[in-house]
Formats: sequence, C-alpha cells, structure tokens
Amino acid sequence: MLQPDLLKSLHPLEIKVLLSGLEVLDAPLIVEKLDYKLGHALQSLSWLSMKNLVQETDRKTLRFYELTDLGRVWLAEGFPEAKLLRAVASGKRLPLSAWTGELNLEQSELGSAFGRLSKEGFLGLDSEKNVIPLQTEEPAWFAIVRHLLDRASKQDLLAETDLGPEELSLMQAMARKRGASGAAFKVVERDEVRYQLTDLGREVREQLRSSGLSGEEAGALTPEMLRSGEWKKLTFRAYNIRVPPTRVLMGRKNPYTEFLRQVKDKLVSLGFEEFDGPLVETEFWNGDALFMPQFHSARDIHDVYYIREPTHARHIEEPWLSQVAAAHENGGGTGSRGWGYRFDHDFTRRLILRSQGTVLSAKQLPRARVPGKYFGVVRCFRYDQVDATHGADFYQTEGIVLGEEVNLRTLLGLLEMFAVEVAGATDVKYVPGYFPFTEPSIEVHIRHPVLGWFELGGSGIFRPEVTRPLGVEVPVLAWGLGIDRMALMQLGLNDLRELFTPDIEKVRLRRAQGA
Amino acid sequence: MPKIEVNYKVLERLAGQTWKNIEELERDLVNLKGELDGREGDELKLEFNDTNRPDLWSTAGAARALRCYRTADPPSYDFFSRADKPLEAEQRVIRVDPALKDIRPHIAAFVARGPALDDAGLRDLIQTQEKLCWNYGRKRRSIAMGVYRSQQLHWPLTYTARDPHSTRFVPLGMEEELSLVDILEKHPKGKEYGHIVKGFSLYPFLQDADGKVLSFPPIINAAHLGAVEVGDSEVLVELTGTELPSLSLAAAIVACDLADQGFIILPVRIEYPEPTPWGSTLVYPYYFQPSARAKTSACTRLLGLELSPDDITTALKRMGLEARFAGDSFEVAPPPYRNDFLHEVDLIEDVMIGHGLTRFTPTQPRESTIGRLTPMEELVRQVRDLMVGLGFQEMIYNYLGSGRDFIEKMGIDGSHLVRILNPMTENYEYVRNSIAPNLLESESVSGGAIYPHRIFEIGKVAVRDDSDVSGTVTLDQLGFLIADRSADFNQINAVVYALAYYLHVDWNVQESSDPRFLPGRAARLVKNDQTLAVFGEIHPQVLENWDIGVPCAYAEWNLGALIDG
Repeated sequence: MLQPDLLKSLHPLEIKVLLSGLEVLDAPLIVEKLDYKLGHALQSLSWLSMKNLVQETDRKTLRFYELTDLGRVWLAEGFPEAKLLRAVASGKRLPLSAWTGELNLEQSELGSAFGRLSKEGFLGLDSEKNVIPLQTEEPAWFAIVRHLLDRASKQDLLAETDLGPEELSLMQAMARKRGASGAAFKVVERDEVRYQLTDLGREVREQLRSSGLSGEEAGALTPEMLRSGEWKKLTFRAYNIRVPPTRVLMGRKNPYTEFLRQVKDKLVSLGFEEFDGPLVETEFWNGDALFMPQFHSARDIHDVYYIREPTHARHIEEPWLSQVAAAHENGGGTGSRGWGYRFDHDFTRRLILRSQGTVLSAKQLPRARVPGKYFGVVRCFRYDQVDATHGADFYQTEGIVLGEEVNLRTLLGLLEMFAVEVAGATDVKYVPGYFPFTEPSIEVHIRHPVLGWFELGGSGIFRPEVTRPLGVEVPVLAWGLGIDRMALMQLGLNDLRELFTPDIEKVRLRRAQGA
Repeated sequence: MPKIEVNYKVLERLAGQTWKNIEELERDLVNLKGELDGREGDELKLEFNDTNRPDLWSTAGAARALRCYRTADPPSYDFFSRADKPLEAEQRVIRVDPALKDIRPHIAAFVARGPALDDAGLRDLIQTQEKLCWNYGRKRRSIAMGVYRSQQLHWPLTYTARDPHSTRFVPLGMEEELSLVDILEKHPKGKEYGHIVKGFSLYPFLQDADGKVLSFPPIINAAHLGAVEVGDSEVLVELTGTELPSLSLAAAIVACDLADQGFIILPVRIEYPEPTPWGSTLVYPYYFQPSARAKTSACTRLLGLELSPDDITTALKRMGLEARFAGDSFEVAPPPYRNDFLHEVDLIEDVMIGHGLTRFTPTQPRESTIGRLTPMEELVRQVRDLMVGLGFQEMIYNYLGSGRDFIEKMGIDGSHLVRILNPMTENYEYVRNSIAPNLLESESVSGGAIYPHRIFEIGKVAVRDDSDVSGTVTLDQLGFLIADRSADFNQINAVVYALAYYLHVDWNVQESSDPRFLPGRAARLVKNDQTLAVFGEIHPQVLENWDIGVPCAYAEWNLGALIDG
C-alpha cells in the first residue's frame, strides 16, 4: 500500500525521472536523456533515494573541471599566449618587458607565454630584442583551449570522461585542485553514484502513469496566467500540504503585559479608577504618610534604595507634612496618642525608590472622591537578593476604597469579589493580618483550581492616623493583591526573573497555558 | 517579622492544652497573627506578623495568648509597681549616673527567684532576649538586655558612664581583661554592636557595690556574673535603653514570661539623679500603660456588625483584656505585657479577633463608582496595538541595571541618571534613563533567534531634572529596535512616520547629535520645541560595546509629551 502523500510529495524533477523509463540511473544519463542540468539530476536522484524509490548500486569518484574567474577572463580577453601572439602579429615591435603594460599581463604570465611560444617556434627576438612572429599560423592547441573554455562556460562542470586525450593533457596543465585563483580551471571531484529503481519506485511509476501526472503540471499560479487566461489550459501540481511552512515572525504583545492588562480591565470593570506615580519617592510618602514610625525596622537602610543625588526633595507639600508629623508625634487630632517621638523633618524628605504600591494609595487620598475606588499596578523596588522569588523590581497591585459604608464586612466582601473575579478562586479564607498602616488588617487566602491554597493578598482599613492627616474623614479600605504567582502559572513559568527575560526567542514562543 | 523556635511539649504545658494535631495548632495561631513556619519533630518554628506585639515572641508569651483565647480568662500579675503604688524593693537598688543622660539614660531591672532553670527555660530566655533586643529594640539601639547570677552580687548596683580606655574587665566568651575600647575592636559582640556607643566619650557600665562588673551595656556581660547557666535559680534581669516606654514594656514581658514558668518576681528600684517623665525613682517591673478607650458605636461602624457589651467583653477577654463599660464607651487597662493601643481602632481589631473573624459575613460594597484607566494607559494601549501592527514583538524589562550597561556601553555621559546610594550589587545600581540599553541587551543575547528582530517596550524611565522638587522625573517611554542585516535609518524612519500619522502628531524632523547614533543618521522629532522622539542608526561603537553583530536602528518616544501636547 502506498503512503497517500507519496505521490504528492514528488517534485516534477523526480516525476520525470521516474517516467523516463530508465531502470538504471546515474546523473550523466539523466542529463543526457532528460536535458537536466547536472545539479538538477543529482538533486532528483538524492530525493528519490531518500524516498526509497531508487537505491544505490555502485559508486565511483569522478573528476570535473569548473571555470574560475581567471578562466572567464581568458574566455573574454584571450589567454596570455593568444593575446601575445595576436599583438605581435599586428606588426608592433616592442621588447618583451614592454608588452606587460601593453597587454595588462603579469610579468610571470608574459614570461611563461613567450617561453612556451618561442619553444614551440612561433615567436622569436630580433637583433634589437623586440619580439617578432616566426609563423603566420597559430598553434593547434589554441583552438582546443578556446573550445574547453567555451564548453566549460556553458556547463556547470566539465566531466573528465568527456575530454579527449589532447584536451585532457591541456586541461591538466591549466587546472589546479586548490588555490585555483591563479588557474583557469578548478578541479572538482564528485562521487558518481549509480542507482536502480526499487520495487516501490516501480509501483509509484505505475501510479504516476495511471493518474496521468507528467511532471509538466504548473507550479505557481501567476498574474500573467490570469491575464492571458493560460491557466484554463493548465493542470496544477498538487502540493504536499503537510510540509511544515516557513516561520512567520509576527508582531505580538508580551504575554506578561497582557496578563497585567487583563487584571487592570477586571478592576476597571469592578468600578476602580487607575492611578500612577513617579518611581522616585520621598520617605514621607513611602512611609511617614502611612504612619510607619520613622524608626520602624522596615525603614532601615537595608530595606529601601536611597537615591545618591540629590538626596532630599526640596520640600513636602503642606498641609500634609505638618498633619502627618503631628499624627506621628502625638496623634495630631486623629484620636490617636501617636508614636510619641520627635518627627524628623530631614529624614522625611529623603529620596528613595518606591518600595511599596501603597505609597500611591496614600498619595491618592488628598484628591480622592467619596465614594471612590482606585487602583494601580505599579513597579516597586525592594532591597532583596535577586532570585527565583525576588526581583530587583516587580509589580504590585494595590488600591483603596473610600466610602461611608466601608467596614470590615464590606472589606471581606470586596476580597471575596477579588478572589472570585480576579483570581478565579473556588474557596476563600480570611485571617487576621498585620500591616503598619491598617487596623483591622486581613489576609485573604484562596483555593485556586490549579495552584491550591495560597495567600492572595493583604488588606485592611487605613488607620485614622493615615487618612485624617491627608484630609479624608470617611473610612478607607486598602488592599494589595499578589498576582505574580497567577502570572507565573498562566505562563507556565516558575521563576519571577523569567517574566522580564531579555531573550527574544523565549518571548516570541511564550504563550498563556491552555485551560 | 520575628520567627521563634518553641518546643511543642513546652508550649502545650504552658498553654495548658494539648492539640489533636498540628493543623489545630495552626488554626489557633491565626488569632495571634502567627503561623507555623516549620517543624522538626517537637521543635516548631513560629512566625509572628505583628511587630507591635513583642509579648508573643517567646514560648511563654505565645502559650499565654493561646491559653487566654481558649479560656477567655486573662491572667493577672501582682508584681507590678505603679506610679502611685511602688512595691518595696528592699536592698535591690540601682543608682544611675547623671553622665549617662545623653548616652543611654535608662535602666530597668528585676530579680526572678524560682525553680532551677532547665535547658529549655534557659534557651527560651536567651531567645526572648534576642528577639526583644533585635526586632523590638532596634538591634539593641533602644533596648539591650542582660541576665546575671543575682546571688553572687552585692546591692546596690551602679549604672555609670565610664572612660572606655581605663575601664577594664573580662567579657563573656574571653579569658583576659580588656578595656572597653578593646572590647569594641576584639570581641565579636563589640564589633557587631560597637557603633551604638562609639560616638560617645564615656561608655555605659554596670557594676555592684563591691565594684564587681556585671556588664558593658549594650555590648557584653562580664564573664563571671553574667554567665547564667542551667541550674541557676535566682537571676537578675536588667535592660538598658533610650526610651522609657519600650524599655519598661520589654522588662514587663520578660517578667511575665518568667512568672508563667513559676518564678517569683522581686522588684528593683531605679534611682535617677534627676526626674524622668515618670519620676526620679522607678520600681520595676513597672506598669505604665494608659488605659485604652473605644466607642461601641465606632466598633459597630468599623466592623459592620452590632455587638452587645457582653459580646465585646467576651471577645476582649479572649485577647487578654478586661473591659469596663460606661455609656457608649468601653475602657480597657492593657495587660502589662502589651502597649499597642494607639487608637480606638486597635482595640476594635482585638474585638474582631476575639469575636472570631469567621463570624463576620462578607457583604458586597454597594456604592457605585465609575472605573477608568489613566489617560497614559489609554495611550499606551493605542501605541502597543500600533507597534504590534507594525510587526514588533513586545518585551518587558527590569528597570534597574548597571552603570556598565546604562552608561559605558551606551557611550553617554551618565550624570543625568538616577543612581542608587546603597545598591545591593553593581548590577542594580542605576534606574534606567532610556529603554535602549534593555533592547540592545536583548539583541546581544538573541543572535540565535531568526532575523529580522523587531522588538519594543513601553515603560518608565527616570532622569534627573531640577525643575521637579524631587530633582528627578519619571517618564513614560516607547522604545523600539530593528536588528537585521538590512536595518537602517530608512526602516526606522518608516515606522516613526507611521506612528506619527496614526497618533496625529504634528511635527518636524531635525538633525540630532545623540552620541548613541551614527553621525548624520540621527534625528529628532520636534513639536513646539519639545522633543517627542529620537531615532537613527545605532553607532557601530555602541554595537561593538554590546557585542552585537548586526546593524540596529532604534527609536524612542516620550509618550508623556504626546499627552501634554
């Protein structure tokens, strides 16, 4: 039984070889019978052999000659002997050395040409050492060389077996195997392989005959065929549709930014408005405004990146600075007793790289609407050793909800909504948490269909020491979601660094995992 | 966040309960904002998230909170002095030198007498000391603690400021006498904590009535008196520090922990040369906490659930708090080992935990708001779609990198880059000023990927800019790169033109002398004197710096300028 695609996979060159009726095949025979170029003959035999339609029976090494660039110059301008003889025959009388410039030949080329022609008795020197002709005829071998040059220019390769004895000896004098730049011909050795049609080959040949394929079917449909209507007379070759195509290099979004876009879209659909802000922040917004005491362990030099220059912002906006400072020192009318220390007005202006997305939640408070819902997916910088679970910088998804009805139960409701809508959770669990800027604080753990139980995020109700100094009197719910784990899962990765890989091929091939 | 090691059996004994399995313990730890972090046999690692609850960072403290939550029966301790009711300290007195005022002014102390310390008890005491001083005492800066064999010393003690060169003793862990200065240089603890005292001309020093040395706070104990061992049954606990409230709280925590383990706590009187905010003599352990108050209505509003005074009372008992109601308010005298009630919300959170978080049912917020993206995000999405349509692959990169990549390889003057003062490694020392180095790095590692390479990123960069109060400005940029045998000015120009058309940019093109580009093949897109974009053929020297073997053409757009314009 034939493989169904075998017929379709045959190239016209192969079809014609099969249909030629030849049982024993070699490249020269195909060149002769089918008028192929030698390259095509070799190619078709190679393809047929790979398909087991022919099999090798015999192999011998053959020698071929190929015209070099110098050979093409010889063909166009004449070889040195011919140029010299013709020039001298024109009647001009010059000493040998003067002919180099005249004929554009190297001294050595001219020397050996004159040597040969004087030895053969065609040229001589007169009393003034000028080169003179001694015969009117040219040597018989001139014609043979011209013929060889001519033949070689018309065929890719000149087979040694095609050369007569005289041709062969002249050729051997002109050809070199390697470093052929100074020679007119290059020696090329090729294995000539003889093949025999296999049983499968015969079977395919029968199939070809019975299906009426000739190898003359048209390939590409061209505008010319359409214009002339020629296509109506043609049959078109069936293509092997299972051959893999060439690679398409397409424009494409990065799967990680697509994931982040989906999260943003989801939050917008839940009524959240996006915020954003600068990468360089002050200690004021990064920590003080969040009521983290300036001596808090998380505000150590080993937890945030300090800017080298300038070191401090020129000033912090009022009245926020004074109100926040008062909240730290003594509560400042927020109902709190404060942290009871002297607020450092220099430290608060210290410039750092934003270490938490909550900064932007705090900055949103003075300009927030009530009721209001806000979010940001923002890059943060943490002083951490870079490894599979810690990046030099990474995205945090954070936000706030302001409103009269904000309380613990609506906080839980919001978290439940995130768990189901954003994370696709099947089960949700809340436990008390701790964040310096929220009270009460809640951690939400979810059961994900693929990842199992994990901590989705932290949340809470901003402490009044955070909201009131920034001009907000209603309760504000603050939340943050750890979505990196879901991103890694969706992209089939297990190393956070991979999300930001510079490797173009990896990014080109990366795709979201199937459901 | 502090992690402590506890023995399961000891925890069960002190908590007065046995757990059926480890999951039950984990479930109970939730109410302490704690979790099980690891387990090897009976040795458990617990992690506690609340940095304002140092009372939980010991076996006895964690056990106390677990016991209390289960029984709703807060413990009471009778060894605390109050401002109006100091206990009799007898001969146990420490006199404080006025010269310490600006160095390390405060000391708290008590004696614990009881059963001989066993191995677990001693280890737990050392662990408590470490956690309190490291996590709560800011690595001994504000609290340092020492424990001594009290039966071998003679009262009164003196806490003095001494000359570091002439004062000498044998520190714990060494055989010979060293001066205080030498201790800072030679002793491992001296090297670790020496920076706390180095700036002063006199160093804190603690000795007894006979001149026997107890310690050189906050650095190291003396070898003899300060070497407490298994079997010791009376110890002096002393803490020095800079702030009275945190110091007093730490002393209270250690006293309660030891009391829970069967020790009798004996008071020590501190005599200051001049009055502190709390008076010129203080008897420790000392109860200093102000009472905490909350309104019932505030509780209802914050929790979204109306709880009766009985509910609140029971909930607070579980958290170790006794509440008294008066009208709409309730008042709590915090237990001596806690001082984390800054605002009524702190008390209300304790009501929440004591009542049980699972008893609060979620409700959906109903207030309606309109969601929207920032104008920049809208533009970013539009540009991203255009770039994809123009055949570019989107990349995403980290923002931090090295001076080698961002400055040297780019052949630019780096003075306008935002540089980090305390980088962890030189690989992450700068914030990028352009997307170009990231895209070129991609090209340099992707020589094996099929060409042409057409890649882009939309992201932020930061540069120094004195017009902003922060001296820096963050910009939203689009960068795109074509790397290919045939990549040239014309190719990148064609993309720039297409973008300009679809983004409705009214512009003109000017020559640019950007050193990153080949001279004569660098352009700026300008609108009203503002540069919207730069583009051109990357300079071969830059390509060589990046070890890139194909021509690259690059463009970078300032997207913010499109919105502002």
